[in-house]
Order: sequence, then C-alpha cells, then structure tokens
Amino acid sequence: MLLFSYLLMSGVTTGALYGLVALGFVVVNKATGVINFAQGEFFMFTGFIAWMLHVQLGINYLVTFAFAVAFGFALGCLTDRIAFRPIAKSDVVSLVLATVGIAFILKGLARTIWGGKADYLAFPPITSPDPIMVGSIMVIPQQLAVLAGTAVILLLFVAFFRFTRAGKMMQATADNARAARLVGIRTDRIYTLAFGIGAAIAAAAAVLTAPLTLLYPDIGFAFFLKGFAAAVLGGLSSLPGAVLGGMIVGIAESMAGGYIHSSVMELSPFIVIMAVLVLRPSGLLGPAKTRRV
Amino acid sequence: MLMSRLPRFAALAAALAIGAGAHALAAEPGVTADSIRIGTFGALTGPGYLYGKLPMNGVEVVLDEVNAAGGIHGRKLQLVREDDRCDAASAIAAIQKLVHQDQVFALIGGGCSNATFAAREAIETAKIPTLIFASVHDGITVPPAPNIYSTALTSSIESEAQVLFAQQQGAKRIAMISMKDAWGRARYAPLMEILKAKGIALVADEELSPDANDATAQVLRLKATNADAVIMVLYPKPAAVYIRDAQKLGFKPLNIGQSGIADPAAFEEQVGVPGATASFRTISQVKFTPEDPAMDKWRKLVETKFPGDRLSVYNLFGIGSAQVLVEALKRAGSDLTREKLQAAFATIKGFNTDVHPGPVTCSQSDHRCHKSPAWLAKDPGGPIRVLAVTTIEN
Amino acid sequence: MAPFGRRNVLLALLTAAIVLPAFANVYHLFIANLILVYVLLAIGLNILVGYAGQLAFANAAMFGIGAYATGLLQVRLGWSFWLAFPSGALLATVVGLAISLPALRLSGLYLALSTLAFAQATQWVFLHWEGVTFGAGGFKTPPLSFAPLPIDKPLGLYYLSLVLMLGLFLFAQNLVASRVGRAFVAVRDGEVAAQSLGVDLLRYKALAFGISGFYAGTAGGLYSAMLNFVAPEGFDLFQMVLQKAMIVVGGLGSITGSVLGAGLIMLLLEALRAFKGLQEIVFGALLVGFVLFMRGGLISVLKRHVRGWEEPLRLPQPSAPMPAPRPIEAPAAGAER
Repeated sequence: MLLFSYLLMSGVTTGALYGLVALGFVVVNKATGVINFAQGEFFMFTGFIAWMLHVQLGINYLVTFAFAVAFGFALGCLTDRIAFRPIAKSDVVSLVLATVGIAFILKGLARTIWGGKADYLAFPPITSPDPIMVGSIMVIPQQLAVLAGTAVILLLFVAFFRFTRAGKMMQATADNARAARLVGIRTDRIYTLAFGIGAAIAAAAAVLTAPLTLLYPDIGFAFFLKGFAAAVLGGLSSLPGAVLGGMIVGIAESMAGGYIHSSVMELSPFIVIMAVLVLRPSGLLGPAKTRRV
Repeated sequence: MLMSRLPRFAALAAALAIGAGAHALAAEPGVTADSIRIGTFGALTGPGYLYGKLPMNGVEVVLDEVNAAGGIHGRKLQLVREDDRCDAASAIAAIQKLVHQDQVFALIGGGCSNATFAAREAIETAKIPTLIFASVHDGITVPPAPNIYSTALTSSIESEAQVLFAQQQGAKRIAMISMKDAWGRARYAPLMEILKAKGIALVADEELSPDANDATAQVLRLKATNADAVIMVLYPKPAAVYIRDAQKLGFKPLNIGQSGIADPAAFEEQVGVPGATASFRTISQVKFTPEDPAMDKWRKLVETKFPGDRLSVYNLFGIGSAQVLVEALKRAGSDLTREKLQAAFATIKGFNTDVHPGPVTCSQSDHRCHKSPAWLAKDPGGPIRVLAVTTIEN
Repeated sequence: MAPFGRRNVLLALLTAAIVLPAFANVYHLFIANLILVYVLLAIGLNILVGYAGQLAFANAAMFGIGAYATGLLQVRLGWSFWLAFPSGALLATVVGLAISLPALRLSGLYLALSTLAFAQATQWVFLHWEGVTFGAGGFKTPPLSFAPLPIDKPLGLYYLSLVLMLGLFLFAQNLVASRVGRAFVAVRDGEVAAQSLGVDLLRYKALAFGISGFYAGTAGGLYSAMLNFVAPEGFDLFQMVLQKAMIVVGGLGSITGSVLGAGLIMLLLEALRAFKGLQEIVFGALLVGFVLFMRGGLISVLKRHVRGWEEPLRLPQPSAPMPAPRPIEAPAAGAER
C-alpha cells in the first residue's frame, strides 16, 4: 500500500508538471486551432530569464515570478505577431513549422546566452528544501507548490473562459473565426491574447518547476512531447482535460516504473495514448466529434 | 579509384592547386610556414554541446596561450570548428569537410560517443592524426586505429574503476541505475562484463531517462533490494533527481558516480536537498573542479574570451587534451608531417598536464592515453576532497 | 517550351547529378548522396501529408525501420545487402500499412499525436530490444561492395541512389496524376464528400501510408549503407521536423517540390555550418522566413513567376492549344443528330 501511495504521489506531481505545460497548449489551441511547437521553449526561456533575475541578480522571488510571467506574455504576443498572424490562414503543417522555427531560435539564443554557464543550472526552491511528511509519505515541498500552482492556474482559466468576456470571445473565435469577426470580435487581438496567455502559463510553470527540473537549453523538448501528449489525450479544447491528461501520463509512467520495470517508463505513456485514441478519437474530454462536410 | 575520369580529375586538380594559393606551397595540408590549422569536431548545437562546444572553448584558450608565446616552432595554431550535431551522418560530413574542404592538418575533438564511433572509419581513411577529448565509447580506441589517440577516460576504464571502488569500500549488495542512451549504454556493457568477470551479481538494475523529473519508482525498487552501493551511470540532471528522491525516501547507499558528474559542488547545488550528497563519490577525468584556486588562470582565460560563460569541467577536458596535442606537435619538430605527429603521440609518456589527475601515457599498442581517474568527494557544505587517484592497468 | 520550365530545370539537375562525381571531393559526394536519400523521404512524406492530407509524424520511424531492417538482416542473418535492402523497404511498407488502420478514425492533431506516439514507441524499441537491435550503441553494418563492377563504395552507392531516386520520382509523378492521386486529393479535401463519390477511405489511406513507408524504408536502407552504421539517434523527432520542413519549403502537394525542398534544406544545413554555434538561431529564422514569405513553398513561388511550372493535378490547364473549331457540316442524309 505504501508503495502504491508513493507511486501515486509521484505520478500526480509529475503529472501536474505535464498538465501545466498542457494547459498552455490548450489555451492556444482553443483560440487558434494551432499546436505551438515552441511551448516547451517558452517554458525553458522564461525559466532562464527567471534564473537570471533571481539567482544572478538576486531579485526577490515574487518579483521574479511576476516579471517572468509578464515576459512570457510578451514573448507569446511577439510569437503571434511574427509567426502566426501573417500566416493564420495557412495549412496546419506550415503553422506548425513556423512555431518550430521560433523554437529553434529560442533554443539557440538560450544556448548562446546561458549555455556556457555549463551543465544544468540549479534554481533555489520557493519553499524549504527539506522533505516533509504528508500523511505517511514524504514529499518535497516544492512538489506541493507545483500541485497547488497547477490547481490555481486551472481554476483561474476555467473561470476566465466561462465568466469573462475575453474568454468567451476566445471560445467564439475557436468555434468559427469568420462568424466571430462578423459579430465584431477582433480576432487578431484574440490570437495575440491566446499566445500571450499560453506563454505566460509556461512562464509560471517554469518558475514553479525549475527547482525540481533544473534548467538547460534542451529541457523544452521533453516537456513539449509530454505536454502535447497530455493535451491531446484530454481533448485539445478542454482545460480540465489537459490536467487530467497530464495526470494520466504521469501516473502511467510512475505505475509502470514501479510495478513493471523502470525501463518501460518512457514507453507507457505512449501505449496509453494509442489505446485512448483508438477508443476515443477526440480525446477523453474532447468535444463529440462533429465532422465538417 | 575513378580510373575513367583520371584525365578530367588531373585537370581539375591542377586548377584547384593553382587556386589554392599559399596552401599549395606546403606539402602537408593545413601547414604553412607560419601556421598550423587544427580541426575540431563535436556538438555545437543540441544537448551534446556540453561535450563539444565547451571542450572546444578550452582547446581554444590553450592554443591562444601557445600563440601568445610565439607558437610552435614559429607557427601559430588556428582552430577550425565543425558541428557534428551528435548525429552519425553529420559527424561523417563534419570530418570530411574538415579534411577535404577546410584542409586541416590534424584533429582534436569527439563529443557524442555514437557520432564519433560512426565517424571512426572516415577518420581512419583520411589518415589524419586525431586526438579524442571527450568521447568515451570503447570502440573508438579499441582496437586502436593508427591515427586515433584519446585523452578521454574510456567507458571500460571508468566502469572498472567504479566496480573496484565499490569493492574497496566493502559493498556487498551492488545495484545499478543507468540511462539507456548511447553514452549510458557505452558504459553499461563494459560494466556488466567486469561484474561478470568478478563474479558479482547486481541486486537491481534500474533505468532512468535523461529527462526524468522523478525517480520515485526507481528508488523504491532499489530500496526494496537493500542495496548498499549504487553505481550511477547518469548525467547530472537525472542523477540529481535520483539523489533527491533517494533522500526523500530515506535510501542512503554509497552512491558511485562517474566523470559525467565531475563537479561535486555544482552537483550539490543541483540536488538542492541539504545533506543528500553526503555519501556520493564520483570520478573525474580532471583533478580540479572549476572553483579550485589552482584553476584561477584558466578561469580568467575562459571567462575573458567567452564573456558570460563560467569555467566548467567540460572546458577542462579540452584544456588537458589540447596540452597533450601541443606537446605532440612540439615533439614532431619543425619539419612537420602527419606521420611525424602520429609518431610523436606514441612517445608521450608520463606527461603531466595542468588538469589531469595522473600522467598521460600513450603507446603504440594502447592509444588510450588517460587511465588515471580521480575520485572526488564533497562533504555537504564543505570543500571538495580528492580521495584518491587510481590507475587502471588493462 | 519554357526555357526555365520544370522539365528543363529537372533535366539540368539530373545531368549535374550524373556528372557530379568528376568534380566533387569526398565531402561533396557524401552530401549529394544524403540529398538523394532525403529526396526519397520527402517525396514519400509529401504523398502522405501533401496529397492525402494525413498529418502523420511517423515517417522518421519508418526511415529507421528500413535502416534497421536492412542492417540487421545483414548482421544477424548474414543476408547480402542486395537481399536485405528490398526486404527492409518491404518491412517499412508493411508497418506503414499497419499504422494506417488506427489512422482511419483519427484526423488532424489527434492523428499527429498517435503517429508521434508510434514514433516514440519505435525509438523505445530501437533502444531497448538490445537482443535484436543492439540498443543505444548502434551497430556497424558490413561494408558494401559493388563487385564485379570496378567502382568503389561511395561512387557505387551514389549512382544506386540516383537511379532509385529517378525511378521512384517518376513513379510518384505518375501516381499523383492518376486516379489514385486524385483519390488522395479527394480524401484530403473532404473525407465525407470523397466517400460519397465512392472513394474507399480505408483503401486509399492505407495506400498512402504504405507508399510513404516504402519510400522511407528505401531511403533507410540506402542511409544505412552510406554510414555503415545504424543507431537510434538518426530517426528521432528532429529528423521528422526536418522532413516536414522539406516538404513545406518545397511545396505541399508537389513531387517536384519535394525534390527542391529536400535539396534546399540539406544544402542549407551544410551552409549553416559557417555559423558554428549560431546555427540553431539562423535555421529557425530561415524556417520562419520561408513559411512567412514563401506561402505554398518554393513551387508556388516558381509557378507565380516562372513560366512552365504547372503540374498535373492542379487547376486543369490545357497543355496543348484547343483544336481549331471545325466548320459545322450539314449532317449526311439519314444520319443521327
């Protein structure tokens, strides 16, 4: 039983990490229908910015957090302007490739600016580093911070989409961009907002998780893969689905590693994904499939 | 080779020779009256850049220092870099470009193991003297190619050192946690062979991904076997995750690292949980860690030439290797040919560099010139100690 | 006949490719051979993504399966390259057909993810099934000899690749101009409409996946012979992205575009070497630039500005002038109207 609780906890905390990245995907996809292949690099780059502020320049943690999120937002808006808005009507592959280009630029920049600091940069945790007891298992407090952060961000955005005008405008744009424009929604601003928010979420995720994951220029890709998987698994237009997807990926990894063998950990999420998609082709909480004829 | 095209080839060769200018005067490619062109290959981009770009930076500051003192027999050294992108095809292309296009005289380099191993044939065919600075794959140096030497601690050397250390420390239940990428596997295979030869059976054999963020499952499985020593074949990031989770779960065996985690101070920071690295010991290819005052000179040179960088162990790999190359170049004399440089490598015996823990010794039959790993430990919050320098004979 | 039209440019490229070894050094020949391999990959991928509209990410995995199969059949079973090579391509084709089955129910990003999952699973198998695949360290393949022909390996392999590329290019051109090609486009542009016209989705999706698998497997076999080495790194997601870049830059839905895109991206990667550590930044910027300014790829730019680049299966264009109208003759007495 103890083994199970530990594995579950570890799966849930890693799952929260993936869920956070997945949230960023879903927000962007909800409004634009595009998968941002640079989401992992947003995460990485804003993490480095936060490192620079907090560790190198000694700026206070909360100020760093706020600044990183703002920087992330700006980075997202910039990406929209450069790589999305001009080609918004292109086919999916071209859009994907444009975000891939942005990903390479960010990665190369990070490697040039910070790569020579060598190795993997440590980021001090927001909480005390000593493990604490929760029930009968030990956890590292930062992991609890990540869980809390994920919950907060999820609730924030569910509220955003349900209750604010901007959120409803985003959903309208996702449903039918032309109709949205007809009723006076500035769709190009919505796109910018979506990208900005997606990147801001990545920044928040980075600051929360950097103490656990360490920072290096190539960290973006692994998170992209798992985050994308989590987002699609949950159904690309569902925010709770993103977090659910993340949890499933994280728990699948953890359980497979604990009960089968650690060598299948990398494989298990993908087996789960292929199984889920065969049974539910639009993800777990995705919309019922309507086909455009 | 291209028999039917020989006449066309000859004409073209003549044209190219005329166009090649000063370089056409020298009999040897890459050597002129006042310069020697050295090529270097490794990953400049992608995650392998730690074993490519950073050692190259170290090589460059050594060459700068030599040039400032007048060069070697009056010739200044130039460094030409090529990116192998940690990929077999790009590595072969990089070697071919350096040899046939950039016309370098000799090579120093080799980061990602698979890439260098794949390119070994191209290097051998080109007959260009080559010194490996970071690739650990045994197949690169065993069986030895006439023109390839290495100052990197190869996988089997380090693996043997790890097992010997575990035994010396009295471990009875040895387990392993490793990464299944090319680097990890290059060490895994020799480890298993050495364990078999010594009749030791692992109590657990776990795998951890290079990008892992959580090692709870692995730690629980290791703990269940009551292992008292764990051989870690991991890069710093998964290693930090493992040690952190081990501490969290109360699992405190002797943790045995290798030269992938060569900076215990940086590692302690990466783990981030106080006291977790108390029973962590690791191998280093170099005797000093970057904060050591003995490295002040190199720190200044690297941080001046590459603003924003911090001196790291990866730079030190390149520095040590470059010093061996420079020594061999000196011994090859002023009438410089590739054969002479190759022969000069074999004469290096008991040579001390600024960074290597033990003397560097190459021979005709064994082109692995560095067999003296240093064992490092760091008490949490305390200074780094060099526990021992072992020399592996085999 | 337009002087810079498609046919002339392609012929010029072919001629250049044939005589290249006389002028090229070892490095150039290697790169040229690599380009030929990637042209095959790009054509196969374009058939799947550009013509049949399936957003699949499995091409690099099938490239890997072709390479691994060709190499392992030689190393493990002692087969000769000339037997292992087609077998490897065949295996990749079969795998392609197999993954087309789940593709039936999925579309868009869900298909992308499931093919991505498949690709990652394939990588995992390459890494972990050490008893067969030699694991992460890879393995060397036996050197290839072209005996009894008196040519050495790099040259022989180059011409083999050239011949294969030519053959498969012509096959693809004919394919997309045929009923099959039109069926692919129908599936891409509207599945429901295509079904209502009697296009069997399963058959044509499977065909598209299978064909791209065949091309990728062939490319894989050639690649393994080029390097004499097979390891998991060459078949990862970065490879996949590179191949996607080739078809987008060349032009989706254009076989000639695949050729140009593959050549251009490979040459670009080599040219980028000059930027040393800044390659990633420049590559990313170029990618964004291509997508922004060359909407529809190189092919569409050429079509707009240079005469003679029309391709089959676009808007039907009369390739020959309409026959002059015949004067209407009075029908012969008693003939049907």
